[in-house]
Amino acid sequence: MILEALIAVAFVSALVVLLAPNEWAGKLAFALSLIPFAGSLYLWSAFDGSGNALTGGDIAFRTQVEWLEVGGRSVSWFVGLDGISLPLVVLTTFLVPLAIVSAWTPIDSRQSQFYGLMLFMQANLLGVFTALDFFLWFIFWEAVLVPMYFLIGIWGGPRRKYAAIKFFVYTNAASLLMFIGFMSLVFALGDSVSSFALPEITQAIAAGDLSAWFGIAPERMALLAFLAMFLGFAVKVPIVPVHTWLPDAHVEAPTPVSVLLAGVLLKMGTYALLRFNFTMLPNQASALAIPIAAIAVISVIYGAMLALAQKDLKRIVAYSSVSSMGYVILGLVVFTEYGVGGATFQMVAHGLISGLMFMAVGVVYNATHTRMVGDMAGMADRMPITVGILVAGAFGYMGLPLMAGFAGEFFIFVGSLSAPALPYAPVFTALAMFGIVIVAGYLLSAMQSTLFGPFHLETDYEVGPAPFHDVAPLAVLLVAIIVLGVAPDIFFEMIRDAAVPVVEGVTLDG
Amino acid sequence: MIDVFSYVPAIVLLPFFSFLVALGAGKYLPKGGAFGGIAATAGSFLLSLWVLATVAGGQAANRTIYTWASAGGIGPTDVELTFGILVDPLSALMLVIVTLVALLVHVFSLGYMNDEGETGLPRYYAGLGLFTASMLGFVVADNLLMAFMFFELVGLCSYLLIGFHFREPGPPSAAKKAFLVTRFGDYFFLIGVVAVLATFGTAQFAGPESFPALAEAGEVAWTPGGLAVDTWFTIVGLLVLGGVVGKSAQFPLHTWLPDAMEGPTPVSALIHAATMVAAGVYLVARMYGFYALSPTALAVIAFIGGFTALFAATMGVVKDELKQVLAYSTISQYGYMMLALGAGGYVAAVFHLTTHAFFKALLFLGAGSVIIAMHHNEDMWDMGGLKSKLPVTYYTFLAGSLALAGIFPFAGFWSKDEILYEALVHAPGEPLLFGGYLMGLLAVPVTAFYTFRMVFLTFHGEPRSATARDPEPVRWNVKGPLTVLGSLAVVTGVINMVPVQKVLGIEGIDVLHRWLDNEWGGIEGLSSHHYADLGPYSSEYLVGGEVGTVLVGAAVSLGLALAGLGLAWRLYGVPSPTEHTAKLGGIKDVLYNNYYLDELQVWLAYRTEDVAGVANVFDQGIIDGVVNGVSSVSLFGGNRIRRLQSGVVSQYTALLTLGLVALVLVLGVTGGWFL
Repeated sequence: MILEALIAVAFVSALVVLLAPNEWAGKLAFALSLIPFAGSLYLWSAFDGSGNALTGGDIAFRTQVEWLEVGGRSVSWFVGLDGISLPLVVLTTFLVPLAIVSAWTPIDSRQSQFYGLMLFMQANLLGVFTALDFFLWFIFWEAVLVPMYFLIGIWGGPRRKYAAIKFFVYTNAASLLMFIGFMSLVFALGDSVSSFALPEITQAIAAGDLSAWFGIAPERMALLAFLAMFLGFAVKVPIVPVHTWLPDAHVEAPTPVSVLLAGVLLKMGTYALLRFNFTMLPNQASALAIPIAAIAVISVIYGAMLALAQKDLKRIVAYSSVSSMGYVILGLVVFTEYGVGGATFQMVAHGLISGLMFMAVGVVYNATHTRMVGDMAGMADRMPITVGILVAGAFGYMGLPLMAGFAGEFFIFVGSLSAPALPYAPVFTALAMFGIVIVAGYLLSAMQSTLFGPFHLETDYEVGPAPFHDVAPLAVLLVAIIVLGVAPDIFFEMIRDAAVPVVEGVTLDG
Repeated sequence: MIDVFSYVPAIVLLPFFSFLVALGAGKYLPKGGAFGGIAATAGSFLLSLWVLATVAGGQAANRTIYTWASAGGIGPTDVELTFGILVDPLSALMLVIVTLVALLVHVFSLGYMNDEGETGLPRYYAGLGLFTASMLGFVVADNLLMAFMFFELVGLCSYLLIGFHFREPGPPSAAKKAFLVTRFGDYFFLIGVVAVLATFGTAQFAGPESFPALAEAGEVAWTPGGLAVDTWFTIVGLLVLGGVVGKSAQFPLHTWLPDAMEGPTPVSALIHAATMVAAGVYLVARMYGFYALSPTALAVIAFIGGFTALFAATMGVVKDELKQVLAYSTISQYGYMMLALGAGGYVAAVFHLTTHAFFKALLFLGAGSVIIAMHHNEDMWDMGGLKSKLPVTYYTFLAGSLALAGIFPFAGFWSKDEILYEALVHAPGEPLLFGGYLMGLLAVPVTAFYTFRMVFLTFHGEPRSATARDPEPVRWNVKGPLTVLGSLAVVTGVINMVPVQKVLGIEGIDVLHRWLDNEWGGIEGLSSHHYADLGPYSSEYLVGGEVGTVLVGAAVSLGLALAGLGLAWRLYGVPSPTEHTAKLGGIKDVLYNNYYLDELQVWLAYRTEDVAGVANVFDQGIIDGVVNGVSSVSLFGGNRIRRLQSGVVSQYTALLTLGLVALVLVLGVTGGWFL
């Protein structure tokens, strides 16, 4: 029942905060958001799952209650955790309180609505990562879009309407494609499944229960479904070339929203890819290994090149997310333990690091009211601690060892170089790894021109150190990144346990 | 019985704690946290001495102490990633060198940073502490992955310290360049690490299950695309070498190092003598058992090394700033070490690494002393005549210069001579190695020339500026470290007097050879003899057999060094020296601009940015244009389709009927009703 309680607390908190007066809505939201965080720590400590939830492993904190029936198949309230979803739940509950604190300075209107929507989004995100029934999952998945739309559209920058609508329409259209893909799978399974439970469906597909439907042969059916779902999720990740909503959304979104967008929302895409495409249809993924790996490498390099061309700090970080997500895709498609496990680890690591980067850029923005590279210089002189943490975070982004990003990327590279499932794996891996040079190029250049050198900023007020509540979340995130980099096993052990069945799902010929 | 090896992690952690203390509480501590750093490095130094004594007593350690990522159980990439310590004669020696230089640099910093009223001292001492800790972690690493991780941390620390004066425009730019250029090398290194893990399933340096041992036995778990094992080993070796070329500032990735002079001078001493730049050469020595298996990789190393030695030395000839000359000499000297490694001279390389650590730290600290005296003016043309004003600095600097120039009997003579000897006797039939040897030999007079040009311009002749006439005096905290290092620069040669042994037949004075050959104990498979057995080289002597070759080799290199020294004396050892570079004509510009390699790299960086700009236009215009186009089309289409909603019921009925017919047709065709 603990998972229900967690989600319920988040929903109730959202309502409470919505009704609270603006003056202390932020502090109330922060206090309330600590409850799910404490809950997720309890989940972590009491976690007793093993294996992968979809392939018949032991699901931790499992609840399955039949809800209604659709077309002869039952829909149930079915939640639970395995080694892949638990780290993402912890990530979500950890980032939300920090994002809320980071909102205290920049959000100065309609606070109760803002924080209410943030908590509402958290509730739905928790639902996405815990739901194991397709319909339940899909409800949460779609419901995440609503608060996001308003958060960008109301509290965003000058072009917020355009960005919010673009985000909503683009990802929603993608969801439709994904929905069609998944439903056609369910129909092709016919009577062999009696519910929309994801484990049942996964195991039925693995058992070869797909049959011809609507005159389409099962193999072809599976391939079409794979493509539809892949495209659908690719938008969310996002993968080149369906990534263009992301920089617009990030640039317009206020800092705390960017933190959750990059930190958690993007991981919905990679999480869903792992669950649906790579766990349910591993052989289709493996058959398409070369094009998928090519897309992954293009995302890494092209995303990094785009980041290199940007002059807006937030756009730089936004495009670098595209680059980092490319690594995740590469890790998934190679179907090795370190590849799939590393991809999942990278989701968490990137969630923390990109969260830190957006937050730090936001703190600088609070003081300077500009994010353009040419407008400021020598910020280290005025905000030494903020800049120190920003520099540390940037090195984390560059994959500095003993920080979380290195662990994720290194696991992926170890998994992919000699991967038997991917032809030309060494070539793809070496190409993707060049991203670590470009990322150092654009982050170091951006830091040099904005943070160092003689101080320069045209303002009519004195720029000083950021307030404590702006810096504290940064420090907390940095500590978490280092802890995870020094001891990746605290998550990686359970992740790998859940990743092994995914790897075993693929049949290699020869 | 106390197990000293269980304290080895403390050697690494002590400076790390001084980093934490200086960072967190440096503001409130006297001298900005300097004493914490001194205490920590002194502790590490004493522990290192203890470790050295224990290794001399016949013990060694190769143990795993921490599992970073545990193995799970399936697949070809199922490997455990661990941290551990490897203490053998090589790493024990290196520990002592690093901790000693770090300690002296900390003490010297009291004079160079605190007494000069620098701000940001806690940050400085934190950086020094982290730098030392990272390097020590790298030295004791028992596997390639751990070595890579600390290698990268060393890169971070160099970034932080080179960019220490971040309020000025120069240092942040130099720091960026240092990190970026070495990162480019580390890209190849990282591929190498992953390749080693994939090929052997382990990255351990030592033991029967280590990757050099597995490579020797030819046991591989994987090679890409059915590549021959030997070819693949060469490729992996060269990939790892990418990191070495970056960090040890070898051609063509040396360009970051002269710029790195923007950092405080004590930091330069640390970077050049004992930490970052030494890391590259140390890495090759650490996994020499792997390199010894690949003649091609060795030849490439030797050629790069010889070329870099000569190439950098020529640029040192025309520089006007004291630290710039030293910077190019560092590049050149590490070139010699690479030449030695490539020539199969494992001991010679470690020997030169040791002597160079002392005399280069000495020269940089001496330069620091001069810079204090000159009120931070580094231009040698403003100096002159400092000999009488700064006697301690002068005589120690002179000792270091004689060592650098390779003059008998200073430390550098012995080590450089052995490198050239190894290259010479192994060169027949190896064109790349022979080329490396020739370039190394040619670099000898050039080295002696630029070294003594520097000495004469700085200390001799008439003072050429007001500050040179009345320099600021330096205190004990500057003189102390100089004296220690000055003595070491004179005497370190005695640890390895191979020529004397060979010529006079006195047995047992080649201590370093016997030390690295595990004569006092060590780890199986990590000895110079084992490497020599693995390596491709056999020795051929010139006239007079071994002894004759030793004598001829030493005489030639000493003669060349003296010739260079003499030329420098003749041109610059006068009361009022003038620039003679004009005689070089167009070559001077080429040398002064470092063969335009920096321009080339900047040009490459700008072209990359241009490509990025094109990608950005493509992304905004084409890809996002399509997205916006789709939305415009659907908005337009929606507008048109809206007209269907006319409110006329008969039209609705007609559409419904049409739709039904169409549906039946589609279903009928696909369902095969009409067949």
